[in-house]
Amino acid sequence: MKKIFLICLGLICLLNSTALGAAVKIGLMAPLTGAYASEGADMRRIVELLAEEVNKAGGINGAKVEIVVQDDGSDARTAALAAQRLSTSGVCAVIGTYGSAVTEASQNIYHRNGIVQIATGSTSIRLSEKGYERFFRTCPRDDEQGVVAVDTLHKMGHRQVAILHDSTAYAVGLADEIREGLRKGGRTNLVFYNALQPNERDYSAVLTRLKNTNPEVIFFTGYYPEAAMLRRQMRDMGWNVPMLGGDATNNTDLVKIGGAAAVEGFYFISPPMPADLDSQSAKDFIKSYQDKYKTMPSSIWSVIAGDAFKVLVAAISSVGTEPEKIAVYLHKYLEDFDGLTGKISFDDKGDRVGDLYRLYRVGKQGEFVLQPR
Amino acid sequence: MRRPGEDVPMIEFFQQLSNGLAVGGIYALVALGYTMVYGVLKLINFAHGELFTLGAYLGMTLLLSFGLSGILGPLPAVLIIFAMITGLVGLSGFVLERAAYRPLRQSNRLAAVVSALGASIFLQNAIMLFYGPNYQVYPEETRVTITLSVLGLDIPLMRILLFLASVLLMLAMYLFIHKTKTGTAIRAVATDQGAARLMGIDVNRIISLVFMIGPGLGGAAGMLLGLYYGQIRYDMGTLYGLKAFTAAIIGGIGNIPGAMLGGILLGVAEAMGAAYVAPAWKDAFAFLVLIVILIFRPTGLLGERVADKI
Repeated sequence: MKKIFLICLGLICLLNSTALGAAVKIGLMAPLTGAYASEGADMRRIVELLAEEVNKAGGINGAKVEIVVQDDGSDARTAALAAQRLSTSGVCAVIGTYGSAVTEASQNIYHRNGIVQIATGSTSIRLSEKGYERFFRTCPRDDEQGVVAVDTLHKMGHRQVAILHDSTAYAVGLADEIREGLRKGGRTNLVFYNALQPNERDYSAVLTRLKNTNPEVIFFTGYYPEAAMLRRQMRDMGWNVPMLGGDATNNTDLVKIGGAAAVEGFYFISPPMPADLDSQSAKDFIKSYQDKYKTMPSSIWSVIAGDAFKVLVAAISSVGTEPEKIAVYLHKYLEDFDGLTGKISFDDKGDRVGDLYRLYRVGKQGEFVLQPR
Repeated sequence: MRRPGEDVPMIEFFQQLSNGLAVGGIYALVALGYTMVYGVLKLINFAHGELFTLGAYLGMTLLLSFGLSGILGPLPAVLIIFAMITGLVGLSGFVLERAAYRPLRQSNRLAAVVSALGASIFLQNAIMLFYGPNYQVYPEETRVTITLSVLGLDIPLMRILLFLASVLLMLAMYLFIHKTKTGTAIRAVATDQGAARLMGIDVNRIISLVFMIGPGLGGAAGMLLGLYYGQIRYDMGTLYGLKAFTAAIIGGIGNIPGAMLGGILLGVAEAMGAAYVAPAWKDAFAFLVLIVILIFRPTGLLGERVADKI
C-alpha cells in the first residue's frame, strides 16, 4: 500500500514538473490602469486571444503558451515594479508597453535580467539608441513619423507653424523631430514651441497664448485626451485653425471626449487603423476579435502588441525559449514576417523596418478617413 | 482677423485673467468643502477630491438616465439634479464620516489622516470599477455654449455662471456659519469640542452635519465641472483635490472667504504663469506663488493662527 502511494506521489510530481517545464511563459506589461487604461485593456485582450489560438492549435512545438500579465499603471514608477515582478516570474520575453516614458523605466531592468522586450506603442527614438541587444519594437520610431509630419506640413503649404507638446518623452521626441525637419526645409516659420500640462481639463490659458502668436497650423504631438480637449476649447473660443496630431491621437475616444463637431477636420498621422488593415491574416484576426469581444480594437497599438506576440511565437518555435537565441533570431533571421499590421523585420537596433504611416482626417460624424497618399 | 487699433497685450492680459478666474472658481468651490471640514475637525479630508469626482459621475448618470431634460427642458433639469447631487454626495460624506473617521476620532491624529487616504483610494477605485477607466461625457444639450463678446474679450456664458455659482455658494456658507444658530454651534465645536458639549451642543450631530455640507459642496462642484468642460474621468479628483488643498492653504485653511480667495488666486496665478512665463511652467509658477505667500504669511492670507494640532 505504501509503495503504491509512493509511486503515485512520484508520478504526480513527475507529471507536474513536465507540465510546468513545458509551458512557455511570455510576459505582458500593459497599462491596465491609469491614463492609458483603455489601450492596456485592448492589449491584454488581443494577446490573450492570440495565445488562446496558438494553444488551441497545439501550442508552440507542443508546449502551451502562458501569458503573465503585469499592470504598468501608465506610469514609470509602477512600470519599474512590474518589470521587477515579471523578471522573477520565469518569462523569456516581455511584450510592452504603450507609453515611451513607461517603457524607458522598465528597459534596464529587463536588460539586466537578460529578458527580451518588445515594445508596442513606444515610438521615442532614444529607446533603441541605448545599445540594448534584446530590446525590439513592433511600432515605428518617431523620426519616421517626424519625416511624414514635416512632409505633410510642407504639402499643406502653411507658413506659420506652432508646435505644442506635453513634456512626455514621446511628445518631446516627436516635437523635436518636426522642429528640426521644418528648420531644414526652410519653408516655414516656427511661431510657437512649448508644452501644456497633460491630464488637466482647462487649456484656455495655453490656447489664448497660442492664438496670439497667429499660427496658420498647429501640430500637437501629445495624446488623444488633450487633443480632444484642445479642439473642444478652441471651438468654445470661436477659434478655427487647422490642427494636426501625431499617432497618439489615433483613438476613437478622441471623438467621444471632444464631440464630433469640435474634432471634425482634425488631421493626424498614424499607422493604419485596425479597420483599414488589408492583409488576409489581419482580416481573419479582426473577425475572431469581433466574435469574441463584440467590438473593434479601439486603436492600432494594441494590434501591434499582437504582432509582438506573433514574432515571439515565430522565434520560440524555431530556436526555443533561450532569450539570447530569440534576440539573435529576431535580429538576423526574421525577414518580412507576415504580421497583422504588415511585413515585419528588425534592424540592428531592434527597430521595425518599413513605412507604416498614413494621414487621416476626422470626418463629420467623427469617423477617421484615410487620406490618399 | 485682428481689428486695427486693438491693444493686443492688454486684451491677452484680460483674456488670461478671465481664464484664470474660471479655473479659480472651480478650485475655490472644491476648497470650500475642504476648509469647512478642516476648520471644524482639524482633519484633512483627503477623500474630498473623490467626493468631488463622485458628484460629477452621479450628475452625469442622473442627467442621462431619467431623461429629465426632455420633460422639463435642460435648465430646470440641471437645477433639480444639482440639488439631488448635493444631497446624495452629502449623504456619502455622512456615511464616510461614520465609517472612516468617527471610529478614529479619539485616536492618534495620524490614524485619521491615513484613514482619509485609504478612503480616497477606495472611492477612486470604486468609481473606476463601476464606470470604467475611460473618459465619460456629459450630454451635449445641457452645455451652455453661448460666448459673449465684451470689449474684445471672448467670455463663455458658462464661465460667468460658474463664477457666480461659486461666489453665491461661498456667501451662503459664510452667512450660514456666522448668522444662524446652527452656524454658531458649528463655530463652537470648531473652537472647543469639550466646552461645546458642556453648553448642550450635540457634537456628533454637528460633525455629521459638517460632513454633509462639505462633501455636498464638493459634489456640486464636481457636477459644475462636468457641465463646464463636458468630460470627466475617475482620477480627476486627485488633481483638483491637490489644487483645492493648495488654495485652502493660500487663503488660510479653515477660513471660508480664504478658500475663495485662495482658489481664485491660484487659478489666476496659473493662467498668468502660462501666459507670461511658459505654458509648461504654469504649475511651477503657481506653486512659487504659494511658497512666497507662506513665507510672508505662514498662516495663509486670511488665516488667524497657526494650525496647532497637525
